[in-house]
Amino acid sequence: MGDGSALNREHVLDALHEVIDPELGSNIVDLGLVYELEVEGGLVKITMTMTTPGCPAQDYILSGVHERSKSLPGVTDVEVSLVWLPAWAPRLMTPAAKAHFGVRD
Amino acid sequence: MISKRLSRSTLPAFACALVNFVAAQGLILAGVTWPARTISAPGTLIVVHLLVIGWLSLLMLGALFQFVPVITCRPLPSQPLAFATVAILEAGLAGMVCGFIGFGGGSRELAIALPSGGAVVIVGVLLGCWNIGVPLIRSRPLPLPGRMILSGLIFLILTVTLGLSFALALTVAPLRPYLAPLMSGVGDHAIAGLGGWFTLTAMGVGYKLLPMFMLAPEERGITGECVHVLGAAGFALATGAGVARIWLTAEPLRIAQWTGYVAIGLAVTLYLWDIVRIYRTRRRALIEVHNRAVSGAFGFLGIATMLAAVFLATGHPAVGSPLVVFLLIFGWLTGLALTQLYKIVPFLTWLSRYGSHLGRGGVVPRVQDLVRERRGRRWFALYFLGVLLGAVSVLLRSGLAFRFDFALVTISTLGLITEYWRAWRGHYARPPNSRPDAPPFLPDPRGSP
Repeated sequence: MGDGSALNREHVLDALHEVIDPELGSNIVDLGLVYELEVEGGLVKITMTMTTPGCPAQDYILSGVHERSKSLPGVTDVEVSLVWLPAWAPRLMTPAAKAHFGVRD
Repeated sequence: MISKRLSRSTLPAFACALVNFVAAQGLILAGVTWPARTISAPGTLIVVHLLVIGWLSLLMLGALFQFVPVITCRPLPSQPLAFATVAILEAGLAGMVCGFIGFGGGSRELAIALPSGGAVVIVGVLLGCWNIGVPLIRSRPLPLPGRMILSGLIFLILTVTLGLSFALALTVAPLRPYLAPLMSGVGDHAIAGLGGWFTLTAMGVGYKLLPMFMLAPEERGITGECVHVLGAAGFALATGAGVARIWLTAEPLRIAQWTGYVAIGLAVTLYLWDIVRIYRTRRRALIEVHNRAVSGAFGFLGIATMLAAVFLATGHPAVGSPLVVFLLIFGWLTGLALTQLYKIVPFLTWLSRYGSHLGRGGVVPRVQDLVRERRGRRWFALYFLGVLLGAVSVLLRSGLAFRFDFALVTISTLGLITEYWRAWRGHYARPPNSRPDAPPFLPDPRGSP
């Protein structure tokens, strides 16, 4: 971004790589916590989950997702929805994250 | 922004607990007591209560103030009351220690501080149990770890009530004729505390934390239910029948007590088997040092249980109890506590100092970046080696060798406390290397509140 190109899904996803799950120590995109991401003009809609319900870091992660998305040029509003279904599982990680944790399929 | 999900009383509780733990270790190293010394000696009573109230109970309650809202998704009813619980327990413990000193020195004026301190401890325990118990009771359905914690809290109340009865019997003359017989139930008091309160609760906490950290299936099925039912029933039968046998000699009570022992043995065996299953079915092949080191604590739980079974079966429970109690307190419970603190302290540090910076233009460290695992690994190895050697010395009844072995326990404990402190101060914090274009690292967190 910053080169004048229009805001799109990839720009937001790229920015969300900077938001981590502190306990697992990987970013929320590679962990597979982001279930849906839509960009409608300047509005960003994100549907995501946590690795476990009641996660003490939940408020910070949600706030971090909101703030990081909002900081992108062209974003006028951000809606972050937290869902518990489908429940997160290690199989949702990207291959890179699976390799990092040594996750067995 | 401070997250509502962060318990502000947990780290202060941990700090108080660690101070009490070091104080108890200092007294042991100074030769005030060691496991083979009679339990009724004032020095022994001081050290034991510093360990079980000042160290393990404060630590466990502090951890539950943070942990119970996680498993119930409900906040504690009162955060200020959680702080008050810590302060009241510390005050009550100080009173009890003064009472033991007075009891040993023949000072009746000071000895009265024993039941007074014990009563204050009960107030602290009841406040803590209410704060932790309310979200558990209101949570429907309550998962297995929560039910095990609830059972543990009931045993905590039973344990401190029995303890207060002992204090009253020792120090209040008019009550002595009624309560003195209870003094022979010290073993039942220990079973209720070390077993029903600490072990049952620790098992429940382990059932949540281990699968969560290692990405293993959380559902424990019938095995987990059996562990809970057998454990709770076993500790209840062993304690209840044991206390009843002080006054009654009925054969059914003896059978009930032994049934309790067998149930406890089965519960521990099933639990350890289930823990092995969690390790084997974990999805995360590369696990962190606290999850590797905690296997030492589980090993000591197994050894202590086997030894207890052998000493009971051969009719020598009094001979074996110092060794079993030492293994349970230092090998199992403290081993579990120190290893899990190695993860929990950095995690709470992250929540307190770094969480609010997430997504706001700087790279925040991961929890793993707040510790140096290589250092932790060495301290844990030294700690468990010290416990193992100490256990051998207790078995051989060698007090001098025990003090030498115990020095290893103390040195490693101090080493680990230094690592917790460094994690809290951000001593090792550094930016992760995952993104080469990452923005500059956060300013020194030591400047943060």
